[in-house]
Amino acid sequence: MKKLLALAVAAMMLLSLVPAFAEETLTLWSIAVESDSSYQSFIDAIAAFEEAHPGVKIVHEPTQNEQYKTKIKAAMNAFSDLPDIFFTWGMSFLGDFVNAEPSRVLCLEDYYPAYEAELARNMCANASYDGKLYGVPYTMSMVVLFANMDLLAQAGWDHIPETYEDMQKCCDDLLAAGITPFGVSGKETWCLTEYLEPLMIKSVGTQKLIDIYEGRASWNDEGIIAAVDAFQDMVKKGYFDPNAAALGNDEVKNNFIAGKYAFYQNGSWNCGDISKSENAASFKAGLFPVLNPDNASLYELIGGPNNTLAVAVTTENPELAATAAFELGRAMSDADYKSGANLPCWAADPEAQVSDLVAQVVEIANNAVGMVLFGDNFLSADAANTYLDYVQQAYFLALNANEFAEGIDADMK
Amino acid sequence: MDKEILPKRNQTGQRKRDSRAKGIPEVMQHRFRWTDVLAQIGLIVWAVICLFPVYWMFTFSLKTNNEIFGENVMGLPREWVWSNYTRALNVGHMGQYFLNSIIVTVVTIAITLIAAVMATYAITRLHWKGRKRMNKFFMLGLTIPIHAAIVPLYTTFSRIGMLNTRWALIISYSAFSLSMAILIATGFMGDIPYDLDEAAFLDGCGVWGIFFRVIAPLMMPAVSTVGIYTFLQSWNELMFATVFISKEAYKTLPVGIQSLSGQYTTEWGPIGAALALATLPTLIAYLFLSRQIQDSFIAGAVKG
Amino acid sequence: MKRPFSYKLNIFLFLLPALILFLGVLIAPIVMSFVYSLMDWNGLSTPTYIGFKNYVELFTSRSINISRALQNAMLLAVLSVCIQLPFALILALKLSQHIKGERWYLAIFFMPVLISSVVIGQLWIKVYNPEYGVLNALLRSLGLDSWTRIWLGDKNTAMGACLVPILWQYVGYHMLLMYAGIKGMPAELNEAAMLDGCTPAQVSWYIIIPYIRPILRVSVIFAVTGSLKSFDMIYVLTNGGPMHATELPSTLMINLLFLRNRYGMGSTIAVMLIVLCFVFALLINLAFKEEK
Repeated sequence: MKKLLALAVAAMMLLSLVPAFAEETLTLWSIAVESDSSYQSFIDAIAAFEEAHPGVKIVHEPTQNEQYKTKIKAAMNAFSDLPDIFFTWGMSFLGDFVNAEPSRVLCLEDYYPAYEAELARNMCANASYDGKLYGVPYTMSMVVLFANMDLLAQAGWDHIPETYEDMQKCCDDLLAAGITPFGVSGKETWCLTEYLEPLMIKSVGTQKLIDIYEGRASWNDEGIIAAVDAFQDMVKKGYFDPNAAALGNDEVKNNFIAGKYAFYQNGSWNCGDISKSENAASFKAGLFPVLNPDNASLYELIGGPNNTLAVAVTTENPELAATAAFELGRAMSDADYKSGANLPCWAADPEAQVSDLVAQVVEIANNAVGMVLFGDNFLSADAANTYLDYVQQAYFLALNANEFAEGIDADMK
Repeated sequence: MDKEILPKRNQTGQRKRDSRAKGIPEVMQHRFRWTDVLAQIGLIVWAVICLFPVYWMFTFSLKTNNEIFGENVMGLPREWVWSNYTRALNVGHMGQYFLNSIIVTVVTIAITLIAAVMATYAITRLHWKGRKRMNKFFMLGLTIPIHAAIVPLYTTFSRIGMLNTRWALIISYSAFSLSMAILIATGFMGDIPYDLDEAAFLDGCGVWGIFFRVIAPLMMPAVSTVGIYTFLQSWNELMFATVFISKEAYKTLPVGIQSLSGQYTTEWGPIGAALALATLPTLIAYLFLSRQIQDSFIAGAVKG
Repeated sequence: MKRPFSYKLNIFLFLLPALILFLGVLIAPIVMSFVYSLMDWNGLSTPTYIGFKNYVELFTSRSINISRALQNAMLLAVLSVCIQLPFALILALKLSQHIKGERWYLAIFFMPVLISSVVIGQLWIKVYNPEYGVLNALLRSLGLDSWTRIWLGDKNTAMGACLVPILWQYVGYHMLLMYAGIKGMPAELNEAAMLDGCTPAQVSWYIIIPYIRPILRVSVIFAVTGSLKSFDMIYVLTNGGPMHATELPSTLMINLLFLRNRYGMGSTIAVMLIVLCFVFALLINLAFKEEK
């Protein structure tokens, strides 16, 4: 009996030693399917990590964006079959999992100090809860106004309009020249918010918008109403593609690159695709002008560190998974930056060769005086969808700005 | 119950004789043919409407985007782009989806059949109080919407780790096909004479003996009928399959195609190819079995 | 004689598989759905009991807008009964008159039933595409440019555009049911009527239709309850958009569950659907009984 016990103990010890040498596998879930602009970055980052850590293998399972949301929520809900590392958006999307009972996400605070020099604390705000880090942000994105300067020139404009009045004039000129000013997907509501949110922040200012999102201030606010009014004004004047309602964002982006619209206001992650196109030289990145100069300035932006890698609490090897999350995050930050897919959260390589468009976006980011994350990431799932719903109704002119503000205020409570 | 279908000749012959006997004037007969021609035209138009989407799917699955987007919207492809099919096969896991659909459907049909035939036997052939009520109880399932159970099933499956398994679908589909299957089986079982049970009983068979030796073999015709109804319920089911399955390896065809189409909104050719691949086997099977399928379906309607 | 057929244990064993499935997967979850509908629960935290608040919110929230979903389901039900079924009946009547190519027509008309709704939906998305779709291409080639629409994207046309494939797909199903009923009629009935000098239309109206009433009742029940629980086609075509114009209770439920993490509210819709389906099935049964 004793012998047996001794044998068993010996076997256990051996077994516990084995993983150090045998192959360790980590699974990684992401939204980087083949058609995604970060697809290659993920592959490269994984290859680099595997090279640096022999014996560790990372299995990458990408799922298309919309389905990914269902998939990760299902797995979190079931609390089984979770991957070791998963892609997530910051703020409430990750927050729901962090705040679940029991928490589904591994706290990374203990592993963070080793990387603090490269990943600044202020970049981690959207992945921190109660002051503790739960995710590794790797890229940040913000709303940028992409402009096709060739088309603007056809309407007699050699620069992106700098005031709201100029913007309206410019759009009228474009329409007169037979050019659709803005491309947007009406089918994917988040694309509408890429237009509305810059208007909102440039009407109420950074702090007010945060207060509204966090429920400290009412949606029923003059500035919000003015922003929605301006948004609906653009719709009414036909500034948006009349086919928008039937188009998905990919189609809109392709149309913009093909020269169908003068402007395309969307996330900075589009830099890669746009600068890869044949006529990359005709595109410029800028910002939508200020609506109310009393409250806001040009460089108050929508966006922030958002793309995040987090570690599930069910992982069998927390230390390795956490290390992988940080190192993959660092590599992704770099790779996405260089490919133009996004802006880095980690200290960027100053020598990096980036496209003109990315350089312009970096310039904008450097000038930023305030940033508020995308509303649908900021707000919790239920509130976010209520909000998206109202944005859609506003776009389709089913309600006016006052009804928007009052309704959203009532429904959010 | 009368499955006899009058032979064609008899009926038309009858009609002619009748009209002569009743002396329907020539004009009437003429008008008669006109309505027939009109009916034929109407039927052909509807047939075209039924066939067109399928025709269009096969043609655009073989075209380039240029042809699809304007040069040649409806015609046959000018150059046959078979590479759309290889792309559809490479990117998606059409084979895997198909296999999953087949496994799920076949097992569902088997379980439904066994459970339904057994229950029907207890309800129609065994004598006990409350069997009528039991039958009514099962018939409730005909009107209960399948989604009513989705949240509890989802949370239960997730708790016992059954999400992302084929069983999650099989069990749900079986339960929801059960009522229809019992309804159909009742009709078929009613056709089996009670004398057989009694003869078997006199030969010394017990309840189980009668069931397995007499009833079960005679219920074979019900298999294809229950099969076709269950197939219709489960083969194309989307909601449960979307919610319960997120792993590539267990996706059924509808979910697989849906996710594939979400990824490639701008490239119609490969999507067309994927749609065609998903449809082709069913269509081919239908081509060969359409008569049996219809007859089984009809039998279900008549029995039920 | 009857004794051996009544052993309780045997009866129970024969019923067991069906009962397990039925109780476990249908009845118990429905009871649970009702319990969940009284909870506020995001699927991750512990549910809290909130009474009937979900029911109140369901009918008052503008962003959930259940009335739109119900209207659409009703519209679908009404059109199924008033357009799809009569059309299926006409086809069935025509085909049962030994028309040339009867079998071919049956086969072709039933075919859409067998094709996955996802495939059909994806095809129709392409048919409706404003720029490259067949429908607008056809209209343009006929010189009807002003008739072209963004079919699925315009809130005024989207529901109509969704209804067409939904109604179209299941005509064959009902047609075959009715055809089966007609073929099951005793031939003498028809012949007698013919001898009395009835026209085929009269035979259809006075003899055949009354005879296949039971099947018509089944068809109506299936069409109405089917409309209430309809999901696949809309999910594929528009997922309820644009702006809830094509929302159905089922799509709304799925969105509440998986986009908004509102498990309690999703269950509330589920409960409402069950009640509606039962009420309508009862009403239809009553209507058919009274006419008798």
